[in-house]
Amino acid sequence: MHERLSYYVKRDSALHRLNPLTKAVLALTIILITFFNIWYWTAHIALLFFIIPLCFVGRVYREYFGTLTRLILPTAGFLFIMQALFQPIGETVIYQFWVLDVTQESLAFAFLVATRIAVMISSFTLFLLTTHPSELMSDLTRRGLPGQFAYVIISTLQILPQMQAKAQTIISAQRARGLDTESTFLKRAGSLLPLVGPLVFGSLVEVEERAIAIEARGFTSTHVKTSLHDVPDTSLDKVIRWFLVALVIITLMLKIWLS
Amino acid sequence: MLEKIKKDFTTMTWVLIPVAIAINIAIGQIVVLLKLPVFLDSIGTVLVGIICGPWAGALTGALSNTIWGLFNPDSLPWWPVAFFIGLVAGFCANAGLFKNWWKVILSGFLIALTAAIVSTPISVYLYGGITASGSSFITAYLLQTGQGVLSAVLSTGFLVEPVDKISTAMLAFAIVQGLSKRLIARFPRPENAEAEEGNSTTQLIIALVVVVIVVALGFLVRNMLAG
Repeated sequence: MHERLSYYVKRDSALHRLNPLTKAVLALTIILITFFNIWYWTAHIALLFFIIPLCFVGRVYREYFGTLTRLILPTAGFLFIMQALFQPIGETVIYQFWVLDVTQESLAFAFLVATRIAVMISSFTLFLLTTHPSELMSDLTRRGLPGQFAYVIISTLQILPQMQAKAQTIISAQRARGLDTESTFLKRAGSLLPLVGPLVFGSLVEVEERAIAIEARGFTSTHVKTSLHDVPDTSLDKVIRWFLVALVIITLMLKIWLS
Repeated sequence: MLEKIKKDFTTMTWVLIPVAIAINIAIGQIVVLLKLPVFLDSIGTVLVGIICGPWAGALTGALSNTIWGLFNPDSLPWWPVAFFIGLVAGFCANAGLFKNWWKVILSGFLIALTAAIVSTPISVYLYGGITASGSSFITAYLLQTGQGVLSAVLSTGFLVEPVDKISTAMLAFAIVQGLSKRLIARFPRPENAEAEEGNSTTQLIIALVVVVIVVALGFLVRNMLAG
């Protein structure tokens, strides 16, 4: 089974051996704490002293730093610039540019927002790097998630690359017969329909066949299905999960209590 | 209630959802390639909302943004917006608002209104009002003129969303009309997609009146929410 969209890197590490649900809870905990903790430096510390060491524990640091430079830093950097320039807060003007002024407060706020977003993307990336989507789905199905959800997610991950390839083919084909995709606005807007139409109708026609195929394989059957792979769930996993849930509850209580 | 919702989730619905998510993402990328000033990244969501009901649409929207987050992480926090786009599109379709083109414009407006309202708290809380999208220049301008964050973000939403969401609704309508009746009949709500015939001049007048009313409604809601 070839899944191009999956970030998963097959390695043997403590993080890889954890139960998928534990890793999902871990990623969510990091995100929730960075967003709800009232202390200014929480997000920065979570990134530097928590997520980056975890990458080394999971032995996916090379892939993580690749994503960091390619995806996370541009997003966070752009957000930082926008925030620093456009947030109308603060008095202490550091730098003035046209009608926009960068103040000390807006810089601090921009730094916080950018780091929070970086933490959010990072923990999500770390989770995807160490967890195979099928493993996560079979574990969640075992815990009671309806099989249909698992089907939707796994099948989207497979359909998407095919759909993008098909879109590329249609674009090339329409260009070859002279469709204008680069000149004036009206021409570009007009070429939307010839590109979208074939793509959508082509893929919707397959829906019925696929429905019949999975129906024949017991898709709507309510019987408990057995799984070929057994996903381990140790007592360590349970301890970690309860600890993380407790952490989130404490953070939320502190937030409500102190504000 | 729950039984009614369950009825919308047939095998056809479950199979359509992944395809719709892929449509959302693929069309979103085509639009970027064509450098058009809209997103059009919820056509699949609206499509599911029309022919499979509101809750299927909502699920499609939420999952769509989550999966898009894999390679465009900025879309991740906006999943509630996509959820409500699918939901409102479904309710509009149930109310018969996807049957001819002036009604589709009204649906587009309602979807845009919802999207603007739902995205405001996310934008304000997560980003302090300035997001990574191009429309933030308008927000920034309004902030500079002394408006509050909430009112500036809402105004930007009301300015930007309708164009995008009306085009989305129109394209979804065109797609549904282009599908064969036999295929549509296999989905849970084929009756939502039946087109009505009508006089086009009357429809144009009705569409204009509706647009004016909805714009007024939008400003009323904005003033109520922003104080």
